[in-house]
Amino acid sequence: MTTTRPAPAVPAVRRTAAWRRRDRRWGWVFVGPQLIGMVLFILGPFVASLVLAFASWDGLTALKWVGLANFVDQLTDELLLKSIVNTLLIALITVPVGLALALLIAVALEKLRTRSLYLVLFFAPVVTSTVAVAMIWQQLFRADGVLSGFIASTFHIDPPDWLGDPHLALISVCIVTIWSSVGLNAVIFLAGLQGISPSLIEAAQLDGAGAWSLLTRIRMPLISPIIFFSTIVAFISSLQTFDTVFVLTADAGPDNATRTIVYHIYDLGFGRFEFGPSSAASVILLVLTLVITGLQFAAQKRFVHYESD
Amino acid sequence: MSMRSRTHKLLAGLAAAALALGLAACSGGGGTASAPSTGGSAAGTPSGTVVWSTWGTPEELTRFKDFNTQFMKKYPTIKVTLNPVASYSDYHSKLLAQLTSNTAPDVFYIGDDKLGQFVSANVLLPLNDRMAAPGSKITKDAFFDGLFGAAQTDGQTYAAPNDVNPDLFWYDKKALAAAGITEDPATLAASDQWTTAKFLEMNDKLKAAGLTGSMYWNYWATHYSWISAQGGKAYDGNTFVGNTDPKTVAAVTTLGQYFQNKTFVVADTLPEGAGADSIFVRHKAGFFVQGRYTIGTLKSAGVQADYDVVRWPTADGKAAPTGVAASYLAINKNTKNADAAFLFWSEFLNADGQKFRLAGGGNAVPSVKGADEVVLEDNYPANAQGILDARNIGFVNYPAEAKVPALSSDISDLFLKLYEGKADAQGTLDAVAALAKEKIGS
Repeated sequence: MTTTRPAPAVPAVRRTAAWRRRDRRWGWVFVGPQLIGMVLFILGPFVASLVLAFASWDGLTALKWVGLANFVDQLTDELLLKSIVNTLLIALITVPVGLALALLIAVALEKLRTRSLYLVLFFAPVVTSTVAVAMIWQQLFRADGVLSGFIASTFHIDPPDWLGDPHLALISVCIVTIWSSVGLNAVIFLAGLQGISPSLIEAAQLDGAGAWSLLTRIRMPLISPIIFFSTIVAFISSLQTFDTVFVLTADAGPDNATRTIVYHIYDLGFGRFEFGPSSAASVILLVLTLVITGLQFAAQKRFVHYESD
Repeated sequence: MSMRSRTHKLLAGLAAAALALGLAACSGGGGTASAPSTGGSAAGTPSGTVVWSTWGTPEELTRFKDFNTQFMKKYPTIKVTLNPVASYSDYHSKLLAQLTSNTAPDVFYIGDDKLGQFVSANVLLPLNDRMAAPGSKITKDAFFDGLFGAAQTDGQTYAAPNDVNPDLFWYDKKALAAAGITEDPATLAASDQWTTAKFLEMNDKLKAAGLTGSMYWNYWATHYSWISAQGGKAYDGNTFVGNTDPKTVAAVTTLGQYFQNKTFVVADTLPEGAGADSIFVRHKAGFFVQGRYTIGTLKSAGVQADYDVVRWPTADGKAAPTGVAASYLAINKNTKNADAAFLFWSEFLNADGQKFRLAGGGNAVPSVKGADEVVLEDNYPANAQGILDARNIGFVNYPAEAKVPALSSDISDLFLKLYEGKADAQGTLDAVAALAKEKIGS
C-alpha cells in the first residue's frame, strides 16, 4: 500500500502574484513593438526637434548652440507670420463650414432608408489618400479642366485661375479640405443624432417644437459633446495642413498664398536645410495648437451640455 | 574629448538619427553604400560596386540604365547600381539623410541650388589630383570655363557639370510674322545686329497684335542673363552690387516695365492647362526663354518647323555671357571604392559619356569639349550652333548665391514683386542686396 501525501496548497495570494507577473511579461511582449515604434518615430524625433530648436544645424556640419536665436528669428520672420495667418484662415473657414455641412448631411440622411449608400459616397474621400485627392482636384482646377469648362460654358465668362490667383488659391485649398473631411464628421454626427432618446424628441414635439427648434434647441445641445470633439479634431487637423497644399499648389502657391505652418517647417528643414529654425517653428506650432485647444476647452463650458449637467 | 563636445556629438547624433529615421520612413529603398573594393583587376582597373543616384524622367532613367550596362560591359570588374529618386524636390533631402547616416551613394547628382552647401560641408571627394593623374578619363580642361560655379572653392574641384542647358530665346516665326515682323532674330544675331532696341521693338509689335511678347521662368538665369546682356553687373565676388550699378538699375527698370505692361509674362504664374508651353505651340507668343528641352515640346506638338532659337539681345548687338542651367555629379568623400567611383564619374562625364547620354533627341547640351555633334546632328533648330555659342561663354549661378540654400528662389520672389508691379526696380535691387548681405554675410 502506498500512501500519497497531498500536494501542499499554494496560497491564493502567491498564485495571484505569479499570474500578475506572467501577465505583466506578456503585456510587455504585446505592447513592446508599439512602444519601440513610439520611442523611435514619435518620442525620438520630438526630443530631437526640441533640442534642435536651440541649435544651428544643416544636417552636414557640426551642431552649434544658438540659445533662443531661432525663436527670435522665426517670430520676426514674415514668412512664418504669413504661414500662421494662412493656417488660421484655413482653420477658420474649413472648420465651421465643414462641420455645418456635415451636420446638414447627417440631419438629411437620418431618416433616409438608403443612407448607407450615401454614407459610403460621402465617406469615400476620407479613406482616399490626400495626395490622390489633391491631384484629382488639381486636374479639376486646371484652366482647361472640368470646373473651368463648366463655368466658361454656363456663364460665358473667363473661368477664374483657381490655383494661380493668390486670393483664390487659399479658397481652393479650403474647398478640397472641406470636401475630403465632411464625410467623417457626417458619420460621427449621424451616430450622435441616432443616439438621442426618441422620448425627448416626442416630448419636445408635444410642447410644440418645430423642426428648426428641435434641431437648434434639442438635438444640437444633446450632441454638443460630439460637436465639440469634432471641432477640436478638425481644428488640430487644419493647423497641420500640409499634403493638400504641397500637392495642389506647388511651392506654397503664388506669392506664398497657401503657405501653411507645416509647409513652412518642411521648407525650412528639407528645402533649406535649416533644421534649427525649422524645429523652432515646430515648437511654435505646438504652442499655438495647445493655446487654441485650451481656448476651445475653456469655451466648451458655455456651449457644451453633458447629460450629467 | 571634452564633456561639452561629447554632448554636442550625442545631440547631433540623436538629431541625425531622427532625421534619417523620418526620411527613411518617407522614402522607399535606400541609397546603400557600396561594398568595399575587392581589389584591382589584373589590368589595374579598379573593382567593386558603385552605387549612384539621380533624379530624372523615366526616359532619362532608361538612358542612365543603358549607360550602366555599357559601362559594366567595358569594366566587368565594376558593378554599377542606380538608385533613382523620381522627384527633384525630394532628392536632396533624401541625399542629406543618407550623408548624415553614412549610407549615401558613392556617386550622386547635385542640383546647382544645393551644390554650394554640399561643397562647404566637406562631404565631397576633392577631384583635382584625380583628374590630373595619368590615365584619367577626363581632365579639368575638358569642361567649358564658367560652368563649375560653386563646384570649385579655393582652387579645388568637388563636382563637375554632367550636362548643361543655356537659357535662350526660342522664337515663333509664325507669331512674329502675324505681328508684322519681317526680320529674323537669328539672322540679325549672326551679323551682330540683335540689339535690345530691336528686341523690344519686336515685343511691342507682338503686344500690339494681341500676342504675348516674351515668356520667362522666374529664376536666377532670367534676371541675371538680362542684367549681363545689358552690360550690368549683379555680383562683385561675394557681394551683390546690382543696386549701385547704374547699368543694372536701368536694365532692371526696363525689365520691370515690360512685365508690368504685360508684354513680358512670368511663365510660372500661368494657370495649369493654359501654361507657357501651350501658349507657345499655339503661336500666341513671340519668344520663350528656355533650354534645349524645348525641342521635345515643339516636336510633340508637331510645330517644330516654325521655331528657331536666338541669344539674348544686347545694347550693341554683340554676344554677351548669359545664364546656363546646370546640375552636377559628385563623389561621396566617404566612398569605400574611390577609384571605381572616380572611373564611373569620369566615364559618365567625358565626351563619349555625354554623347551616349545626350544623343538621339537629348534634352541638354554637353558640358565638355568634343561632344557638340549631339546638338548639331539633327540640324535642328536651324541656329543650333547658337546654343553651343551661348554655353561657351555662359555662366552658371553665382557661387556666392548658390552656396546659400533657397537664396536664389528668395531673390526670384523679390523680382516677382517687381514684375507684378508691387515694387520698383531700385527698391527690388536694394531688397536683393540686403537679403544677399544677410544670407551670404558680405
